[in-house]
Amino acid sequence: MGFYLLTYLLTLANDTDVDYGRGPWIRKLRMDLSEDVMEGLQLAGDSVHIPDQSFLLLLRIVSESIVDRRPADPHLSAKKEFGSVDRGTLKQVYAALGALLLEAAKLDKDVAAVSQVLEDCKFSQERIKQLIAVYQQHKQPLRSVLSKIGSNLPHVVDVDWRLDYYIKNNNLEKVSRPVFLIDLKTRVNASEETETVQIACTQDQLQDLVGKLRDACKGLERVAQL
Amino acid sequence: MLLILGDEHKQHLEYLCSVSLDVVQEFCRLSVEFLMKGTNAKIYNSAAQKLGVEAIIIQKAIEGLMHLFLESSKLLLNEIDFRDSVKAAGFSDELQSELLRCYLENQADIRRIQLDISMGLSHYRDLEWRLDVKLASRSLRHQVEPVVTMKLHVKDSGKEETRLLQTDPVNLVHMTRTLEEALQELNSAHCRRICRNF
Repeated sequence: MGFYLLTYLLTLANDTDVDYGRGPWIRKLRMDLSEDVMEGLQLAGDSVHIPDQSFLLLLRIVSESIVDRRPADPHLSAKKEFGSVDRGTLKQVYAALGALLLEAAKLDKDVAAVSQVLEDCKFSQERIKQLIAVYQQHKQPLRSVLSKIGSNLPHVVDVDWRLDYYIKNNNLEKVSRPVFLIDLKTRVNASEETETVQIACTQDQLQDLVGKLRDACKGLERVAQL
Repeated sequence: MLLILGDEHKQHLEYLCSVSLDVVQEFCRLSVEFLMKGTNAKIYNSAAQKLGVEAIIIQKAIEGLMHLFLESSKLLLNEIDFRDSVKAAGFSDELQSELLRCYLENQADIRRIQLDISMGLSHYRDLEWRLDVKLASRSLRHQVEPVVTMKLHVKDSGKEETRLLQTDPVNLVHMTRTLEEALQELNSAHCRRICRNF
């Protein structure tokens, strides 16, 4: 559920509903926030709709649930801090805050850029400070979560090996040679499950493989020293 | 170790006792060729016509030879054992020498084929690698993430496959160290003792 929240929020943020009537500052800042998100942000900044206590709590809940990849609490509106908030408003504000944080992290926006958007949504200085604090605190974790979205080749995370002595088979007596069984554990696309690629090697083949891996390591070291 | 030939097997090979040496040489050559490349029924018919016997007898003789060579290679019979096994089947000395010569010449190739058709696991053939740096994706800009992409070539009973994998520098170094340890293990006293005794 947490994963779907993320993709939903990203699509919201990227909904380039460019309404030139909204003013040139959207394009200037190059953060493509849709109309819905901008509306939600304006509601978030408005202390009539979202009282101060609720705002702080909501900020914390939004940022933590994205970073920890936890699903959103369906009974959020039942909390006493949100008693005075209309449910539809709460939903829109939740989504808008999440979209802003994610879009800013994705584009590596600095504090000034984010403050500018908040000022244009008529946030009070106090609320701007609070949101910026949360943004700075969670920016790296947000970027880390975003970096895992996307397609990858199977990513090798571990290697297991086993050395057998091949004595004979049903066609041939006295085969008599050592055989290595190598298990490469791979992870696909940030899921927790691993798949295994198994290969067998004779001594010569393993020496060839290790030689090539050593070359790759040396290549890396040379690049790292540049 | 002796290879005991079954009665039926001996019967099939009996035909060889009644023909001249160069015919036996030809049959030996044919049987090895059939082991390498597969049988060819037309040869049986043409040989049958030339020698004036039924094709089936030629076929049984050649197949008997193929079986003899296969079993001897499987057990890795040395010269003496091979001679003794063949002598027990009732071949003359001349014939024995001829069969022995053919066996020794082709033993390595026959064993190689037997190994190829044996149950095997996907064997490593080659590894290609390259270093990339991930700069951005749709979901995140301004990244600097090094990625090592690898193409692993494996061969599984004749079929070749390639697998695309990736890893990061830390895991690459970990992989290299772990596999170096594996290689070292082969030189340990324990492994050398076992390998020597078999």
